[in-house]
Amino acid sequence: MNQVKSDHDLGSIDFQILWTRIISIADEMAITLVRTAFSHVVRENQDYGCGIYDADGRMMAQSTQCTPGHIGAMPIVVQDMLEKYPADSLVPGDVLITNDPWLGAGHTPDIFITTPVFSDGKLLGFACNCAHHIDIGGRMGAPDARQVYEEGIIIPISKLYQAGQANDGLFELIHRNVRMPEKVIGDLRAQLAANDVAAQRLVALVQERRLQDFTDLASMINAFTEDAMRKAIGQIPDGKYGATVAIPDVGEDGDELSIKVELTVSGGDIEVDFSGTSPQVNLPLNCVYNITYAYTIFPLKCALHPHIPNNEGCARPIQLKVPVGSILNAEFPAACMWRTSSVYSCTEAIFEALAQAIPEKIMAPSGSYPLWLSIFRGEHDDGRSFVAHFNAQGGQGARYAKDGVSTTVFPPNVMNTPVEMFEAETPMLCEQKALIPDSGGAGRHRGGSAQRVVLRNTGQAPIVGSVVGGRFEQGAKGLAGGRAGSKGAIHVNGTRLPRSEQVVLHSDDRLELTYPGGGGFGEPAERNVEAILGDLDAGVITAEKASQDYPSAQEALSRRGRLSPGPGDDHEPT
Amino acid sequence: MADAMARPSRQAAYRLGCDVGGTFTDFVLLDMATGRYDVHKVLTSQDDPSLAIAEGAAEIDRRRPGAAAATEYVIHGTTLVINAILKRQGAATAIITTRGFSDILAFRREHRYDIYDLDADYPVPLIAKAHRREVKERVNADGAIVTPLDEAELETLLAELVEQGIESIAVCFLHAYANPTHEQRVAAIAADKFPNLLVSLSSRVLPEIREYERTSTTAINAYVRPLLGPYIDRLESRLAECGYARQVYMMLSGGGVIAPKTATEFPVRMVESGPVGGALAAAHLGKLAGIEDLIIFDIGGTTAKTTVLHEGRLGITTTYEVDRVHRFKRGSGIPIAVPSVDLIEIGTGGGSIAAINELGLLQVGPQSAESEPGPVCYRLGGDQPTVTDANLLLGYLDSEFFLGGTMALDAPGAEACIAAQIGEVLGLSSVEAAFAIHDVANENMAASIRMFMAEKGLGPSQTALAAFGGGGPLHADEIARKLGVRRMLIPRAAGVFAALGFLVAPVAYQVSRSYVTELDTVSMKELECILVELDQQAADQVRDVVGDAPLTYQREIDVCYSGQGSTVRIEANGLASIDELKRRFAEDYARLYGQSYDDLPVQMVTIRVTVSSAQELPDIGLPFVEEGDLPVPRWRPAFAPGSRQFSDYAVYEMGQLVGGAEIEGPVIVEDSSSTLIAHQGSRVFVDPRGWLEVEIEDAAR
Repeated sequence: MNQVKSDHDLGSIDFQILWTRIISIADEMAITLVRTAFSHVVRENQDYGCGIYDADGRMMAQSTQCTPGHIGAMPIVVQDMLEKYPADSLVPGDVLITNDPWLGAGHTPDIFITTPVFSDGKLLGFACNCAHHIDIGGRMGAPDARQVYEEGIIIPISKLYQAGQANDGLFELIHRNVRMPEKVIGDLRAQLAANDVAAQRLVALVQERRLQDFTDLASMINAFTEDAMRKAIGQIPDGKYGATVAIPDVGEDGDELSIKVELTVSGGDIEVDFSGTSPQVNLPLNCVYNITYAYTIFPLKCALHPHIPNNEGCARPIQLKVPVGSILNAEFPAACMWRTSSVYSCTEAIFEALAQAIPEKIMAPSGSYPLWLSIFRGEHDDGRSFVAHFNAQGGQGARYAKDGVSTTVFPPNVMNTPVEMFEAETPMLCEQKALIPDSGGAGRHRGGSAQRVVLRNTGQAPIVGSVVGGRFEQGAKGLAGGRAGSKGAIHVNGTRLPRSEQVVLHSDDRLELTYPGGGGFGEPAERNVEAILGDLDAGVITAEKASQDYPSAQEALSRRGRLSPGPGDDHEPT
Repeated sequence: MADAMARPSRQAAYRLGCDVGGTFTDFVLLDMATGRYDVHKVLTSQDDPSLAIAEGAAEIDRRRPGAAAATEYVIHGTTLVINAILKRQGAATAIITTRGFSDILAFRREHRYDIYDLDADYPVPLIAKAHRREVKERVNADGAIVTPLDEAELETLLAELVEQGIESIAVCFLHAYANPTHEQRVAAIAADKFPNLLVSLSSRVLPEIREYERTSTTAINAYVRPLLGPYIDRLESRLAECGYARQVYMMLSGGGVIAPKTATEFPVRMVESGPVGGALAAAHLGKLAGIEDLIIFDIGGTTAKTTVLHEGRLGITTTYEVDRVHRFKRGSGIPIAVPSVDLIEIGTGGGSIAAINELGLLQVGPQSAESEPGPVCYRLGGDQPTVTDANLLLGYLDSEFFLGGTMALDAPGAEACIAAQIGEVLGLSSVEAAFAIHDVANENMAASIRMFMAEKGLGPSQTALAAFGGGGPLHADEIARKLGVRRMLIPRAAGVFAALGFLVAPVAYQVSRSYVTELDTVSMKELECILVELDQQAADQVRDVVGDAPLTYQREIDVCYSGQGSTVRIEANGLASIDELKRRFAEDYARLYGQSYDDLPVQMVTIRVTVSSAQELPDIGLPFVEEGDLPVPRWRPAFAPGSRQFSDYAVYEMGQLVGGAEIEGPVIVEDSSSTLIAHQGSRVFVDPRGWLEVEIEDAAR
């Protein structure tokens, strides 16, 4: 604190007040975006990020709600934009835009909008936000795309507005290339509105507090955060920590894909080296550097400093090496729409490596990634067409000191689709949505339970579904002796699909989605007997599986006799 | 305007408001002829709150003989329901769902409330797995029966549950909002075979789409329902014993009062009845002052609460949460989707503890010293600095005049504690440290208010701020400046202000029903049928209280573009056609979000009707004397945030102020329960009708 204070002009309390205010402005941006966006992906799935930058393009704050991918990539995006359009060339009324996966957040639907903020003609900083759009053209996210050209238009870093004048040609280009253009353009306007709110608030703030600019504040926020992050890293013993994890999907010929990571901790620095990771593939599973960067910072922040506000300072102590041409640093024109199927495993690889040093701060692999998402298209019996998403989750991995959370999303953040809403919008009937007993991996702490969902086409017309899931061959691994969670599966009329694919559901066809469970943590033999009995009462495990997984508890189990439902409690005993 | 208000004709008629809080039970006896009121406080009797109520009511009758007999009715708000939930002290409850869906409560909405926290916990479902049971039946989204209810299976299940000691069941079938037949059969069979079993149907408690929220709300209703009937019976008989023979009415979270029979069937609607009182009283104050847009702000000992009056109406939300794992993190609690006045709780109050956190930053709240051990200056054993300690050091509180001089405060103790735990760590003097605590607390509260308003599409700068509660008037000036608000209302007797709200509440009830359909496929006649039915349902509840009095109907419809997640609530009074509904939606949508989309299909989701009967009220208040001169003030040094140093503040007592007076800041106005601080650049106007209005002329620092 003192060290930070002596470097700059702001007093420590003024600094803190201003920091709080800047974060609240970022939150206000986010609220404006969510309120005004058309895209349900923004509204319900929180697939957006908002950030505030100083005049040099240094991040000062992000919105509390956001998706790690957007916010993680954003500092690089702003710098890239300033490289093309230097700060001193910008004028009031300019607005910059890009969705280039290699400059942005790694796939085409994510559009970044950056607005320079001026007060009395002087550049104060930038408001930037990113939103996942409902369409960007191309083959609608086909899971078999081989090149990015199939994934919609790419907008290079451009001016969407020049001194207040709309770039009509660019608007028309977007309008002509996307499905539902009114909604897409409407959402661009929502992004502009969010930045405008931030601009107003920033200008009011410099007037109220009589500030010259945000330069000192940005330096202090980032220095302070960097300092805190370095101290947290300093708690990890120096050394190398490595892990290799399988990507829970397969290459085009069914070949296994893996992520290899080595963390080198030295004092307050971490080098993260992904050498040895599988090469890029001709499937949309590729990640560009920016998104790999985002999902490297995210798990490190979760493990090391979950409660400090996020900004660039968190990332400064982290150096990243990702081999060019690997699936985590794919070269143009690789397809990358479903990068989520691979990039979430960076989290797993980094946690597994950290488990060797700070097991108490991480989480075992989760059944909630890769992302499970089904998109259905078809017609009601009266001829109306529909498009509907179905979102549900597997189980989270166990923690060092707690069981895993059942059926909860990780690492992104998405709400589930209410069954009643889904049925109101489609001619489908959900026959079951139930926790799966024995799905969480055994361990000192058990993995979170997964669920099974059964959907039936009760209409006349066939329904086309893009059904994306994973962990079909191997469940989420356990850590430190914990057992794996249950595997995922997709069945149509009882026949198991080999992989995520597009399916056609004819009238009365049944689609069964078996989500994967979370991995366990620690040796099952160390599990508290009361917790095992609690799981039995709550139906989380069966008596048969309990005696199989926890032989050391055999005596207590047989004393209990066969299952008798007691006043069980499904809030996973630990 | 006040004169135009009808005055009740009966002589010496009273109404008694009674708010059972965690520590105190507050009473306000309103004289309907004059608008004057008496206040009384007793300690809450924790085991059976009706004991303290009877004690306090009897005392009021002793002080004002004949009051009990002349009391028209008692309006009652209680924390009984919320406490039963928080302490998990509800009844033995089971839930019956459609086959395949008994885990709805365990799923929640499957998202995280904190993106970085790997260690997060989630609320424990109120009803354990063993008591979440299924029965064969199925209704689809159109309300058609896909699988008939297996009545034999149901009877066996009910017998088993009763055998296990279950007193109350929640019946939550999929799409019961669209067709309640199966749920109603369960109720009929239970009434026939197990007449003592209390049955809450999701189609009665909350006939709205989205299974988790409806099931959660119905489960809570069932969980607390067996507690309420006996409690109200006891309360009525105890009050009757001390002379209050008339009806007792219940305060609902949605801001209306209703008959006990309704409250007993739907206790989930009473969860937040207490805090609503303050909001209603402030709304009334706004009405008297002719202000339609108001930030309503109440700072108590542990937390602050805020809500917004917009165009003369309090916001009503149907996305309320209780029992949060993290009290101030949205999404970490159990949803209750019945209408509630939309208020948020902020983790900053007088007792909020200031500490240096793991980052070396000053953190104020949400940890609180509460009333025990309390702030250091209370000398009750508190050893961590609080906001109140800081306020004392800054001269905002008078160590001799606190609570009307009934409690001398320990200023040196507070100073030593702030110096040791905050000042020395941050390299600040004790006064700088105290102002840091004060300022951080204000910034936190301002940030929360700003977010709350942004979510409603409102900006603070066009509104006024009404501040009350023990700490509201003390922090209001600084918070207003941070928000860009220029005008404040401070009621007289700010400390007991909340209890007044019950007496100004309308008799009101809201009902709703989901009817999910594209507007192109529904006729106005169909819609009108549902509206009339809902009108009738709500009116029946209100008529139980008001008889033949005139009723007001407020119709609203939640509408969205097909497939969109969130809806916009459209006013539907006087709706002539479906096209008009579409038009109103397009207009509201464009106003809220900048544009509308003519080419997209529009869907309605939920229809809502609120029926209310406004009360005839006298001018409620304790007016200031209208003539005479302002007394000569005392002066005391207090910390001026503008110059960052102590300067002299004029100090008045509230009771000495003269109506019509104007006082330039810096000034302090004290009464027995709160202290108003108006800094340099603010001007206080004493409204003779019983409140202070503060205008901030120069907000810049």
